[in-house]
Formats: sequence, structure tokens, C-alpha cells
Amino acid sequence: MLTGTVTTVFGDDINTDDIIPAKYLQQSDDPEFFATYAFALYDMAFRERCLATPASIVIAGKNFGCGSSREQAVYALQYNRVACVIAESFPDIFYRNSLANGLPLIVLPDRAGIAQGDALDIDLAAGTIVNRTRNTRHPFTMKDADRTTFQAGGMTARVRAHLEEILARQ
Amino acid sequence: MPHTMAEKIIARQVGRLVQAGDKIDRLPISKVFFNDVIGPPAIKTLERLFGETFAKHGKPLRVFDPRRVFMIPDHSLPAFSVAVAEGVDLMEQFSREQGLRCYREGDGIEHVVLIEDGHIVPWDIVLGTDSHTCTNGAMGALAFGVGTTDGAYTMATGHLYDFVVPETYQFELIGAFPKGVYAKDLILHIIGTLGAGGCSRQVAEFTGDAIRRLSMDARTTICNMAVEMSARTGIMPTDETLLGYLKGRAQWPVAPLVSDPDARFANRITIDLSTLEPTVSFPHKPANATPISGVAEMMAASQARSTPDFPAVTSDRITDAFLGACTNGRYEDLVEAAAVLRGRTVHPDVSFVVIPASRRVYERAMDEGILQVFVKAGANIESSNCGPCFGSHMGVLSRNAQMISSSNRNYQGRMGSRDARIFLGSPATVAASAIEGRLADPRKYL
Ligand code: SF4
Repeated sequence: MLTGTVTTVFGDDINTDDIIPAKYLQQSDDPEFFATYAFALYDMAFRERCLATPASIVIAGKNFGCGSSREQAVYALQYNRVACVIAESFPDIFYRNSLANGLPLIVLPDRAGIAQGDALDIDLAAGTIVNRTRNTRHPFTMKDADRTTFQAGGMTARVRAHLEEILARQ
Repeated sequence: MPHTMAEKIIARQVGRLVQAGDKIDRLPISKVFFNDVIGPPAIKTLERLFGETFAKHGKPLRVFDPRRVFMIPDHSLPAFSVAVAEGVDLMEQFSREQGLRCYREGDGIEHVVLIEDGHIVPWDIVLGTDSHTCTNGAMGALAFGVGTTDGAYTMATGHLYDFVVPETYQFELIGAFPKGVYAKDLILHIIGTLGAGGCSRQVAEFTGDAIRRLSMDARTTICNMAVEMSARTGIMPTDETLLGYLKGRAQWPVAPLVSDPDARFANRITIDLSTLEPTVSFPHKPANATPISGVAEMMAASQARSTPDFPAVTSDRITDAFLGACTNGRYEDLVEAAAVLRGRTVHPDVSFVVIPASRRVYERAMDEGILQVFVKAGANIESSNCGPCFGSHMGVLSRNAQMISSSNRNYQGRMGSRDARIFLGSPATVAASAIEGRLADPRKYL
């Protein structure tokens, strides 16, 4: 069960340059570094709101995370204690990067009835979002394989097993 | 059963028939490449995640196949910071140890040099740690941008995991471009029509009679921007032009590839090139496209209905111009811009940066006197790299700037200040606007 507060509601087409500007990407290899500059040019108060909240949930419209393949965008969210992102849709590269790092992404075609400040309980296994502030319930669907990967925090264990197979054959 | 190009490529790689929607647990990859933004952390991730696994088997850490892995420092070169320089050191050292090719600083942009060097061929599955990896689709390859972790996985095992065979959106191109209209205008028009998410999760396949008349440089411009409508990638069929380009160049076996005419496409649309005009995209996204004749109307709309990604534009003045990037920094792009600029000068209020996209392009443009046109007109020519497109050097924008750029992204803050305004256009439109110091129609100079 994921529990958190909606600290940000974005519109459509938020790109990964918005999430973490290019000029910070090569300044560090430490994933935590990027948290400081999350939305540095787009939404300067984003980090403040996250810091004031134990677990943040980001709500967005269509196509959240489009554009550049920078995986630092995922770190910038995770290290600001973003527990999950709920959006109308996600493009592939950002979706894969979030899978790889275990940042749950939930596709919710209709996000009406969820607003800034709402407290949400999210049950990935049951596929439900319960809005405790408004006493509403929003079902969602997620592929089983993706749920497993989000919960495992990525697919490294499987890749390691594959590498073992390859090395054993050599 | 008929199949799309994407389905055929994946089927060959996995050794069984597939169709859109099928899940592939382990997809074998043909080539993978890394730039200086993701290469250094990917190398470290590879060592951190898999170092022990190799050690356990008593083997040194090895990439899956050094002939299929490339390091290409191109974004922030020559290094603008110590961290960048040390990242490039790591790429070079790792490449030496692994026996793989690391390009030299100034050799050019990742999506240009591998194609020039014949490393990308039809039927390839190509991964690059950059969203514009889709550019390579012009070669008939299935090319995907990935992040650090997927890149590191692929270096270790040569595979991409949990892949779903994508659907295909087919764009049939017919007719011929009118004078002053180019591939860039076409792709901006398409993105403007479909929107930033209009091709989401689908392969954008560009086909039709008109493609046959387009050069490889023009084709790469089109595929380059497929990701700006959130396409999984762009791809084009094999024809005589591509085979001719690969002849004597390809480092790998070449076999032609096209979609079956009766394959299942998720969407299909026909576009007549002869109906197009020079097109520009307004800030802050490529999908804010308008024909150049509609600039005044678009400005009025931006003032009446401004949004975070369609801010009010109150003037068509231009302070900065950029010709270059993986979109439009190739030989023909320079030729097209030079045709507009020859014998004219850059407007006194405009800073014009020109960057040939690779060393080969640079040398040819130099040998043929094309660079001279830019220098004499008052432009600054920089060494081959991403330049201002990546927003960290060689022309970072101030808050007052309004730039016309031949690159592919005009996001807020992409090239510097969050208050700068970036417009996208063809090389000819960039040159015309640099001359006039305002958004300008290139057709009057041709
Ligand atoms: S030129 Fe721009 S879009 Fe192309 S690879 Fe470089 S930074 Fe990315």
C-alpha cells in the first residue's frame, strides 16, 4: 500500500527537461543530487512542497515525462519522496526508466476528483486509489508484469540471472 | 500473414513470428551507443550491478560484444566543466579496456556519426541513451532511446527486457516540396497536426512516393523528430537511395526491408508535400507549429490564450539563431542555409551560431567553401557537437532572447534562461530570420 499527499497537479506534456534541466545532468553521478534541481526552471516551489510532505504524489495530464531519455528525471522525483505519479498517459522511455527504478506510474484516464492536498491510499495489487480527503475510489489497471517490476524496484535480479546463464554457457 | 517493418525486425531477432502487442521477455539488440551525459553513469551502473556476477564466474567484466557498443562524447564538448572532462576520460578508458570504439571529441553527434560510418543498417535493433535515437530509423533500423539502466543492462547481456511489440502509425507522403519547403517543415507540420502525444507508443513509419525523392539527410531530419510526437521511434523503408548510401559504407551485411502493404497499421494518414509552407514552431513545444504566413495569428493566439507551454509571444524579433544539431546540422542543411545567406549579412542584433553536425560535414563544408559563406556573413562556427541545443554552452540564451533554431526542441529553458523564447524552423528559415532579425520566410531569398 502506498500512502501520500497530492503535492502537485500538472497539465499535459510535462517533459523531462521540465523535470530536470540539462545543465545539472553532468554535475554528478549521485542520484540524490538531482532532487535539489527538480523542476528548477518550471515549478520552483515543487521541492519545497515535497520537503514539507513525508510522501508526495504527483498528478498530471497526458504524456507525462515526454522528451529526453534522461533517467535523472526519475531520480529527481524519487529523491524528493515522490511515492508515485498518476497521469492520463506516459510515453515509453520515461515509463521504462521508472520501471527500472521502481517509481510506480499509474495510468488514470480520468483524474477529475483528485486535487492538490488530497490524501491518497494506493493499492497496486488491488488496482485502487482511495481518496481519503474526498471519500472517493478510483480503480485503475496495470499489467501484472509491470506491477511486479515496480514492486521489486526494477528488473536487475532478472537481468543478473540472465547474465549468469550467459556466463555459464561460455 | 502480413507484417509491419517493426514486426519483421523483432521476429527476425527473436526467431519467431510476432505481432503488435506481443510481449518479448528478452529482445536481442544489434547496436547500443552512449553519449557523455549517460555513458559515464551507465558504465558505473554496469560495474555496480554486474561486477560481482562476472567475478563470481571468475571472468573480467566484459560488454556483450565490443563491436556493437559505441561511446560518443558529443553533448558538452569540448568539455565545459571538470565533471564533463572526467566523464569523457571514463568513457575513453572503459573503451580501451573493452576494445570498443570511442569517438573523439569533435567527431560529431551520435545520431550522425554512426550512420556516416556505416554502422547502422536495415533490420538492426539499435538502442541509444538519447531520445533522438529514432533518427536511425531512416536507415530501416528499429531504434529506441533508453535511459541509464536499460543501457547498462544491454551492455551486460545484449538484451532489452520486457519489451512490447509496438503498433505502427503509417504516414504516406506524396507529392513534392514547393521551393523553400523542406523535410523540417514537413515534420513540424505533422507534429503540429498530431500533437506532442499524438503518436504515443507507436512506431511512426514514413512511406510513399515522396520518400523516394528525399535524400538521406532529409530522411534523418524527419525520423529525428518522431519522438516529438512521442512516437516509440520513426522508421523508413529500404529503397535505391538507401542502398546507394550504404554501398561501400556499410560495415554490416545489408538486406532490404519494407512493410507488407496489407500489414496491420494502427493509423494511416496521407500527406501531400506540395500543400506545405515553410513552418515554424512557437515556444515552448514543437507541436506549436504554424505555417510562416500564420505567425501574426499565432502571436495573437498566444497572447489571448497563453498556457505554460504556449506562452505569450509579443514580438517576432530574433536575437539568436542556431544552425546545427542532430536534426539539421548535416551537409545539405548547411547548403540550404548558405543558399539563403550567400552575399548577405547577419542582422546586427543577431548572434548566429553554426555547428556542422560532424567532422565529416565540417570538412566537406570547409572544402566546398560553404563555411566561408557563414563566416563572411557574420556567423560563429563551432566544433561539431550538440552546442546550444543542450543548453549548457556555445550560445546559452539570456532572458531577453528570442531564438530561431534548426534543432528539435524548444522547451522552456532548453537553451538557457526560462524566459527565453525558442522557435524551430528549417535551415533556410533560420538563415532568412538571421538576416532580417525577425521570423522570416526564406522563399523570397531563393
Ligand atoms: S543535438 Fe540536441 S537533440 Fe540532438 S543529441 Fe544533441 S542535445 Fe540531443
